[in-house]
Amino acid sequence: MSFGSPYTTLPDFEYHKPTTLEEVLGLLKQYGDEAKPMGGGVGLIAFMKERLMSPAHVIDVKGVKEFKQLNNTTGRGLSVGAAVTLAELLEGGMLKKDYTVLHEAISKVADPMIRRRATLVGNLCEAIPWVDSPPALIALEASVVIAGPDGRRSVPVSSFIRGPVDIDLGPSEIVTSVDIPQAKGTHSAFEKFTGGSEFSLASVAVVVSDGGRNRGARVVYGSVNSTPIRSAEVEEAIKGGITPGSVRKAADMASEKVACVDDVLATAAYRKHLLKVITTKVLRRMMSQ
Amino acid sequence: MREISVIVNGRTRKRMIKDNELLLDFLREKLEVRSVKAACWRGECGLCTVLLDGHLVKSCLVLAVEADGREVRTVEGITNDGELAPIQKAFVNHGAAQCGFCTPAWVLATHELLKANPNPSDADLVEATTGLVCRCGTYNQIREAVAEVSAAPKVRSKPRESPSLGISG
Repeated sequence: MSFGSPYTTLPDFEYHKPTTLEEVLGLLKQYGDEAKPMGGGVGLIAFMKERLMSPAHVIDVKGVKEFKQLNNTTGRGLSVGAAVTLAELLEGGMLKKDYTVLHEAISKVADPMIRRRATLVGNLCEAIPWVDSPPALIALEASVVIAGPDGRRSVPVSSFIRGPVDIDLGPSEIVTSVDIPQAKGTHSAFEKFTGGSEFSLASVAVVVSDGGRNRGARVVYGSVNSTPIRSAEVEEAIKGGITPGSVRKAADMASEKVACVDDVLATAAYRKHLLKVITTKVLRRMMSQ
Repeated sequence: MREISVIVNGRTRKRMIKDNELLLDFLREKLEVRSVKAACWRGECGLCTVLLDGHLVKSCLVLAVEADGREVRTVEGITNDGELAPIQKAFVNHGAAQCGFCTPAWVLATHELLKANPNPSDADLVEATTGLVCRCGTYNQIREAVAEVSAAPKVRSKPRESPSLGISG
């Protein structure tokens, strides 16, 4: 991440490495706003170098055993612990078949060295608009599990991310895992456009259920606005199936209805154009599968 | 300040560090392992890449304190009793370096790639090294060096096209 900072060092902080959830909560209670949890550190260390964050206490959560757990339970789905890295998730091999959209989203994140450190939960907690995993997780209807002084609570990813670098998490709380409901029997795919930059300028996550009670489609766009956007209009367009006609309609709807912003990376008008392109690409690919 | 103990290229090294010290600075400044290069400082160029417990990571994004009790390997650690590793010889044979600044990281990354996958395709090579840059643009020579060590039957490399290696996206 480069914002042109002249700093190469980190601000002063005290490093803590708790080994249990209770210890983590104890440290958060003790230090409150002065503390920042660290998973892979990829985001936090970059932010600290830029002096966008200067926590007095850094709490490394990689020593907490329960945070390293990656469970794929039949009927319950996938539970990804807070310290599970993107590389571990990809190597686990459970994503490719049933959670294709997430596999495609995270296998193209940054590079293998970064994926060795970066965690899925860290991705979510950064809540940076151009991160690729949140749209995929929202399309999969994933939830964030949070522990705090009053016990645990669960929040859908769609409401956990409130805005850019703004999440539904109190200073004394910690995310313990992200839970993804079983996606067996769904078809899904992810597409992004980066234009050679290090960030996505637009991304789309599609999950289509063929049968059962949840028959229908979920289409979520990322990197075009301050938070991921689910599009009912695009979902409606492909409800009856993915055909050349419905793909055209969906692409038009995406471009027309999904609100895009101007920023340093791209103009809203360009993003509107990209929405048409990536919607067409992702749906055509799903059509041919 | 606290003392950490890290096994670097097989040798246990103990030093006093500050909590906010980067693994990159620990290796370069405290241990004088200068093959680990400091260039972008923000995880983009990949020239500070090292092996931490056997996995390639960018040491500018790792705290030194995180390496306490763990094993770090740098390009110096892949030679065998002073004998260059096959990929190192191949880099020499193909002139796969111009200024040489990025070479240690590329040697380490391609060495690891070949260890995990003795016959990498061009796409495998691109994927494994998307996190590295070579500003001199020796990508084609690196590709040839990897092909030399690869277990696959050698075919004459195609005429050079514009390099696509190392351009992240």
